[in-house]
Amino acid sequence: MPLTSQPIDTSIYATITAAIRSEASRLFTAAEVVAIIGYAAARRVGSAQPVIITDAAAAETLIFTEACVNNLAVYLTKAKKEIPKKGKIGIIVKGCDLKALVGLMGESQLKREDLYLIGIPCAGVLASAVQPATTLTTETIASKCCECDVHLPLGCDFVPSVTLPPGPQMESRYSEEIARLEALTPAERWAYWKEQFAKCIKCYACRQICPFCFCEQCLCDRNKPQMVETTPRPAGNTAWHIVRAMHLAGRCAGCAECERVCPMDIPLNLLNRKMAKELKELYDYEAGFEINDKGPLTMFTEKDDQSFIK
Amino acid sequence: MSRIGVFICHCGENISRTVDVERVAEEVGRLPGVAFSTDYKYMCSDPGQTLVKKAIQEQKLSHVVVAACSPRMHEKTFRKAVEAAGLNPFLCEMANIREHCSWVHENREEATVKAIDIVGMMVERVKKNRILPTITVPVTKRALVIGGGIAGIQAALDIADCGHEVILVEREPSIGGHMAQLSETFPTLDCSQCIMTPKMVDVANHPKIKLYTYSEIELVEGYIGNFQVTIKKKARSVDEDKCTGCGVCMTKCPQKKIPNKFDQNIGMRTAIYVPFPQAVPNTPVIDRDNCTWFKTGKCGVCQKVCGPGAIDFEQQDTLIVEAVGAIVVSTGFDLYTIAEKPKGSPIKGYGEFGHGKIPDVIDGMTFERLASASGPTGGKILRPSDGKEPKQIVFIQCVGSRAREKGISYCSKVCCMYTAKHTMLYHHKVHDGQAYVFFMDARTPGKSYDEFWRRSIEEEEAVYIRGMVSRLYQKGDKIVVMGSDISVGVQVEIEADMVVLATAIQPQKGADALAQKLGISYDKYHFYSEAHAKLRPVECATAGIYLAGACQGPKDIPETVSQASAAAAKVMTLFSRDQMEREPIVARVREAGCVGCFACKKVCAYGAVEEKEIRDRQGNLIKIVAYVNPGVCAGCGTCQATCPSKSVELDGYTDEQIIAMIEAL
Repeated sequence: MPLTSQPIDTSIYATITAAIRSEASRLFTAAEVVAIIGYAAARRVGSAQPVIITDAAAAETLIFTEACVNNLAVYLTKAKKEIPKKGKIGIIVKGCDLKALVGLMGESQLKREDLYLIGIPCAGVLASAVQPATTLTTETIASKCCECDVHLPLGCDFVPSVTLPPGPQMESRYSEEIARLEALTPAERWAYWKEQFAKCIKCYACRQICPFCFCEQCLCDRNKPQMVETTPRPAGNTAWHIVRAMHLAGRCAGCAECERVCPMDIPLNLLNRKMAKELKELYDYEAGFEINDKGPLTMFTEKDDQSFIK
Repeated sequence: MSRIGVFICHCGENISRTVDVERVAEEVGRLPGVAFSTDYKYMCSDPGQTLVKKAIQEQKLSHVVVAACSPRMHEKTFRKAVEAAGLNPFLCEMANIREHCSWVHENREEATVKAIDIVGMMVERVKKNRILPTITVPVTKRALVIGGGIAGIQAALDIADCGHEVILVEREPSIGGHMAQLSETFPTLDCSQCIMTPKMVDVANHPKIKLYTYSEIELVEGYIGNFQVTIKKKARSVDEDKCTGCGVCMTKCPQKKIPNKFDQNIGMRTAIYVPFPQAVPNTPVIDRDNCTWFKTGKCGVCQKVCGPGAIDFEQQDTLIVEAVGAIVVSTGFDLYTIAEKPKGSPIKGYGEFGHGKIPDVIDGMTFERLASASGPTGGKILRPSDGKEPKQIVFIQCVGSRAREKGISYCSKVCCMYTAKHTMLYHHKVHDGQAYVFFMDARTPGKSYDEFWRRSIEEEEAVYIRGMVSRLYQKGDKIVVMGSDISVGVQVEIEADMVVLATAIQPQKGADALAQKLGISYDKYHFYSEAHAKLRPVECATAGIYLAGACQGPKDIPETVSQASAAAAKVMTLFSRDQMEREPIVARVREAGCVGCFACKKVCAYGAVEEKEIRDRQGNLIKIVAYVNPGVCAGCGTCQATCPSKSVELDGYTDEQIIAMIEAL
C-alpha cells in the first residue's frame, strides 16, 4: 500500500448513472428485457444495494457509485429463481463481474443470448471495511481493484460512452501477501491458515455469495456419505475451505465477494488468488477472459506439466 | 442385516506361506455382518467353488467376499459360482491378499494383519453393493480392417467369407503391402506375388468387402459393437467408376523419372501411376506433388488421352462415415532406415555403415526388388551405382535389431531366414558369385526353417561368418567390409561389390497417432500392445479392437496369416450374437443433485455422457441434467471424480462404499 493516499477520480460515475437509467428505460419500453439486475441506493447515505427492476418506471432508481461493490452474477445462478424466466435479462456488469459471467457461460449455466449486458467503465469501488460515503482513494479502494485489468468490460451490449480518467498506479495487495506467505516454512504457513480457519463459524456466506457455487445441493451438506464435517470445528473447517479453494481453481476470476461477506474476516480471496497464480504458472491460464468449453483442470494436453509424477 | 460369507484362499502356498489364513478367517468371522468365514487350499478349484455355493445355500448368505488373488484373475469365476447359487453376481467381491499382500511382504505377522484389514475393507464395501442387472447392447455386424497387407487381406477375407460386411482401408493406392514387394518367400522359395495376387483379386471381387484404397482413418468414435469411423478418402484425381484400367494415361505421362516407393526408389514411375502391374484396384492415382498439371497448370495429357474421361483434376478429399462393430488393426511394419538417422528418434543409426552415402549398400527390401522378376532390373541382381553384376556380396544381419546401445533391443525375427533366402537367390542368379553373411547367431525356429538355413550353407555355398561388422568404406568401386570372425578370433576384411543390410523391423510411421485415434496402447517402439501376452494375443485391451500382423511385433508371413485368421475368429465370435452382454459397472447420475455444468461430459473419454431434459407434467422444462449411456460407459470413474456436486456415482465404487472402506481401516 502506498504511504500517502492518492485520490481516484470517480466523476464519471454520475454520467454512467444517467446513461444506464436511460438505457434501462429504453430496454423496458422496447420490451427487449423482462428484468434488469442493477444497483440502487440503500438506506445509509452513500450506500448501494442490488436491485431487480421489471419496469421502465423503476429505471430511475438505478445508480452506479463507488459503493456498487457486489458481483451481480450470483443473481443469475443461485438466486435465479427470483427472476422471471420469460425473456432476456439485463444485468449491470463491471469488468470483474463480467469475468464471472464468462466462466458461467463456459460451464453451461448461462447463455449469452439470454442476457443483455450493460457494461460499466469502472475506476474502482470501495473496500468493504470502509464507510459507504467515503471518497475513493488508493487507501479506501477494494483490494481486488488494486490489481484490476478490466476497467472497461469488453463484448457488452451497451457501455456508456465516457472516457475513463487515468488512475494512479497501485501495487497488488494480494501478490504482496502471497509472496509473504510463500516465504514462510510449511509449518509456519500451516499455522497461519490453521489460525484463519479456526475463526470460521460455518455460516457459508462465502458459498452463498459465490457465483460459481451454483450446485443445488452442495456436497458439503450431504450426509450419506458425509464428505465434510458440518460443525464448526477445525478439521471440518479446514476441509470445507480446501474443498472450496480446489473447486474454484481455474474458475474464480477474483471478484472477492467471499472475502467481503465473511463475518470472521478470513482472507478467502487470498487462497483463490494463490490457486489462480498456480494455474497461470502451470497452464498459462487465466479465468474469465474467454468462454472455454474446457478449463485447464478438465483437459489434458501433452504440454501439461508432468513434474509431479516422480 | 447382511449375512456375508468370507472365503479365504491359500492359493496353494502362495498366500498361506506369508499370511496366517486361519487367523484371518477367524478374525474376519467376528466382524459385524459376517455370518460365515472359512479358508481352503484352492478356492478357484471345483471343490472350492462348490464350498462357496454350498455355504450360500446352507448359511443363507446375502453377500460373498473371496479373499484370494487379483480380481483380474478370478473375479469372473467366483461371480459365476455365486450366480449359480442363486445370488446376483455383483454381490460378490474379491479381496486381493496375494498380489497386494502375500507376494510383496515377508513378515508373516504384519502380512496377516494387513490381510485382515484388506478383507475387512471389502466386507464393508460389499455390504453396500447393489443388485446390478447385466447390460445388453446391440452389435453392428460389420468389421473395419485397417491396412491392406497380407494380414488385413486375410482377416478381411475370413470375416467376409463368414457372411459379414468388411470395410478394408489401405493408405497406399493399392492393397498388397510389403508381401507384394517380395521376390520369393522362405522356406519354400515360391514366388510371393504368385501366392499373394489371387488373394488380392479375391478381395477386389468379394461382394462383402468394401475397399477404400488411398484412404486413411480420420476419427474413431463409439465402443465395441458400435463404432463410428470417419475415413478420409484422399483425392485420387481419377474417377474410379469410369476408369477401365487401360493404362494409356501412364504410357503418355511425360513425367517418367519419379522414384517408385514400391521399388524402394530404385525403379521409376510416372506422375499418374499404379504402384505395380498387379495392383488392386487397377485404378491409377495422380501424384499431385510431381504432376506437371498440378505444379504449373499446363500439360493435362492424361486427360486428353483418357477414353472414358476418368481424369478429374478437381477431385477433393472426401470424408466417409462407416458404422462397424469390430476393428482389426493390421498396419504392418516399416524398415529401419539406413539412409539417414531418424529425426528425433532415440535410435542412434549406423553412420559407420555408410548411411546412404555408399550407393551399393542397400537394405533387404531393395534386394527383394532387385531379385523380383517384376522389379526394376527384371530380376537381375545389378548394383544400383553402375548396373554391374556383383561378384562378391556381403550380407550383414542384425542391423538395428538386438543392439540396445543403438536403441532397439528386440530381435526382428525374420532377418535370419530372409538373409538365407537372399544368399540362395543370389547363388541361383549369379553362378560365379560368392555370398558372405556376418551374423550373431542364426535364429531359425519354425517348420522347415533350420533345414532351409542349413541348405544355404551346405548346398548354396554361402559363407557364414560369426561376428559383427565395425565399418564399411568405399575403395574404388569396391566396398571394404571390416569385421571380425569370433569363431576363430581373427579380423576379417572383404572387398565386396555390394552390401545388403538386414535392417530392423519397426512399426509404420504414424502408428502412435493411429493408436491414439483408436484408443489402444502401444510399447516404447510403437508396436501395438495385446491385452495379454500369452492368453489374449490378438485382442487389444480396448474391447472390440483386434491386432493382426507386424503392427504388434516382427512376424513372418505364416505367423501373420495365422494371427489374421485368429483376429477374424475373434470378430466372428463377437458377431455371433445380436446382443452383447456388458458388465454393469457403469456411472449413474443422481438427477436431483445435477446442475448441468457438464464437467462430466467434457472429461468423458468414451462420449458416454449426454444431455437430458427434465420436464414437469405440463411439459415445462425444469432443468437439463447429465445422462450416462450405460451401453457406452466404460466404468472408468473419471466423471465421478470430476463432478463438483458429487452427483455421479459409479456402481460398485460409490462414494459411500469407498468411504466405508476407508472407515474400516
